[in-house]
Amino acid sequence: METFQELLASSAKAHGHLCPGQVVGVRMAMLGCRLIGLNDPADHSQIKKLLVYVEMDRCATDAIAHVTGAKLGRRSLKFKDYGIMAATFVNVETGSAFRVLSTEEARDLVPLYAPGIRGKAGQRLEAYRRMPDSVLFRVQRVRVPVKDWDLPGPTRYKSICSRCGQIVRDRREVVVNGEMLCRPCAHGAYFQDAREITWPEMNWAPVSAGVTRELHPKRPLPAPVETKEKRGIGPSYAEVPPHLRSTQC
Amino acid sequence: MIKKIKVQDAVGTKLAHDVTEIRPGEFKGPAFRRDHIVCDGDICHLQRLGKDHLYVLDPEQDEIHENDAALILGEALAGDGVKCEGAPKEGKVRLLAERDGLLIVDTAALAAFNMVEEVMCASLHKHTLVKAGEMVAATRAIPLVMKRVPIDRAAAIAKQNGGTLSVKPLRKAKVGLIITGNEVYHGRIKDRFGPILTEKVRVLGSEVMGIDFAADDPEVIGKAVRAHLSKGCDLLLLSGGMSVDPDDVTRHGIRLAGATEVHYGSAVLPGAMFLVAYIGDLPLLGVPACALYHKTTILDLVLPRILAGEHVTRAELAFLGHGGLCRDCEECTYPHCPFGKGA
Repeated sequence: METFQELLASSAKAHGHLCPGQVVGVRMAMLGCRLIGLNDPADHSQIKKLLVYVEMDRCATDAIAHVTGAKLGRRSLKFKDYGIMAATFVNVETGSAFRVLSTEEARDLVPLYAPGIRGKAGQRLEAYRRMPDSVLFRVQRVRVPVKDWDLPGPTRYKSICSRCGQIVRDRREVVVNGEMLCRPCAHGAYFQDAREITWPEMNWAPVSAGVTRELHPKRPLPAPVETKEKRGIGPSYAEVPPHLRSTQC
Repeated sequence: MIKKIKVQDAVGTKLAHDVTEIRPGEFKGPAFRRDHIVCDGDICHLQRLGKDHLYVLDPEQDEIHENDAALILGEALAGDGVKCEGAPKEGKVRLLAERDGLLIVDTAALAAFNMVEEVMCASLHKHTLVKAGEMVAATRAIPLVMKRVPIDRAAAIAKQNGGTLSVKPLRKAKVGLIITGNEVYHGRIKDRFGPILTEKVRVLGSEVMGIDFAADDPEVIGKAVRAHLSKGCDLLLLSGGMSVDPDDVTRHGIRLAGATEVHYGSAVLPGAMFLVAYIGDLPLLGVPACALYHKTTILDLVLPRILAGEHVTRAELAFLGHGGLCRDCEECTYPHCPFGKGA
C-alpha cells in the first residue's frame, strides 16, 4: 500500500478536492485493511479478497473506495444508507470483518489537536492528520453474513417483475401477495410519473457495427452469452421473453 | 453483573468498592475498603454513612472493576517522570511527580481521554513547576463495573506520544546576564536588575556565570553577547532596551551577535516587550523593564520552559494571551493564581 500522504494526494485528486473527509476516509480504509490483514487491497492479488460496506455517501466514501479499490460495479463496494460515518471491511477469504466508526468527539477535539491553524476546514484537516487512530476511530469486530448473490462475479439469479416485466437481478425482487415484483412496483421508487419517451437522434451509437469489424477484422463479433445459472426464484433465463433477455451481467 | 442487596442481608458478603466516610472539617477517606467482609458490627456504621443497600459484584469476563480500571488508566497516563502512587483509594489513582521539574500535559490527549465516557483524569496546569512526590493528576473510572474495551481504548489514547503527563527536569544552565542601558552603564543609577534576575535563575537551580553591563549601542551589546558565549554560557538574559524608544536597541544587538531566530513581543502583561532569540540552539531572553517592578512577569512563565528544553517561538508567546493578564494583586500568590495558565 502507498503511504498515507500518497494515498491522500491521489484520493483528493480523484475526489475533486482535499477535505477533512478525505483524511478520515483514507485513514479509515488504511486501518480497516490493516485489521483484516490486507496490506495492498487494490493490488490484483488482493482485490478479490475484500468487501467494503460504507454507511454514508460523503467525501470519506470516495476516499475509502479509492484506497481499497472497492467499486460498486465490481460489487466489492456496498452502500448501506445509514447516514453513519462508518465502514466495514470484510476479508472474504478469512471471514474476518471489522466495522470502523469515526468518533463524534474527534470533531470537538479539533482545536486542541491543531491549535493556531486558521480556518475551520483547514484546522479540521490538520487535526485529523494528527489524531491517533485511537482518538479518531472506534472499532467493532463484526460478523457479516454475505449471501452468494451479493458476492462479486456474474449474475447468478434473474427474475421478472410480473407487473412491469422488468428483469430483476440478484434476488432483489419481492413477493407481495404471491406476486413477484420489482421494488419500484412493490414499494414505490425514488422517481415518479415515469412515462416512456422518444428522443432526437435516437439512432446514434459511438461505433457502428461495420466500423467495429473494420477496426478488428480478425476478431469475430461476440456471440450472445446465455446465463448458465437457472436456480433463480423467478423464471429461468430460457423462460424470459426474448425482448427482455439480457446478455449482460 | 451487579446485584443490589439490603445492608442487613450483607453480612458475610464482600464490599464491592471502598466506602467513603466524610466528617466535615475532620476526615474524608475510606471507612471500609473493597473486599472487606461485612460483619454484624458494620451494619450500623454503614447505615450511618447512608448505605441501606450494597452491591454484590459478579463481573462478566469482558467487564472490569473500577479499581483495576484505575490502575490501567494511571499506568497509561504516566509518561516520563510521572508514576502511579500504587493501589487505588476510593477508586482513584494518584499520579505523582518522580522528580523536580516542569509538568508537561498533552492537553489534546487529556481531552481525548476524558471524552471516553467511562473515565476521567484531572491534572494540574501544564507548565507548573512540581517537586518530586507531588501529586500532578488523579484518574478514575466512572462506573463501578464496566466493559473492558473503553478502558483499553482510553489507555491507548493516554499513551499517545509517550504518555499524557510527564515531568521534564530543568537543566542547570550557565547563565550570562547582560544589563543594558546608558543610565546604568554610566553610573547614573544603580543596577537593580542584576540581583532580581540572579535570584530568579538561582531559584530554578541554575547559576549566573557572569554579569556584563552594556551601553545602549547595538555593537557593544552584540560584543557582550559573544563574550558570554565564548566563556561557555548556555543561556543569556538581557535586561532593558526592549521597548520602543530610540535608545532601545537591545534586540538589534542580539541580531548583530548572530541570532538565527528572533521572536519579539509576547501576549502577556506584564511582559509585552519580551524577546526570545536563538543563536543556533542557545536561547537568549530579552527581559523588559517591567520585571524591575512586578514580582511576576512573562519571564517567570518562559524561563522554566526554556530550562526544561522547550523551544519557545512566536506561537508559544502568542498562546499565552489567554490567562496572560496579571491581576497585579497586592500580595502576589503566583503560582497559585491563574496567571499564565490559560494557554
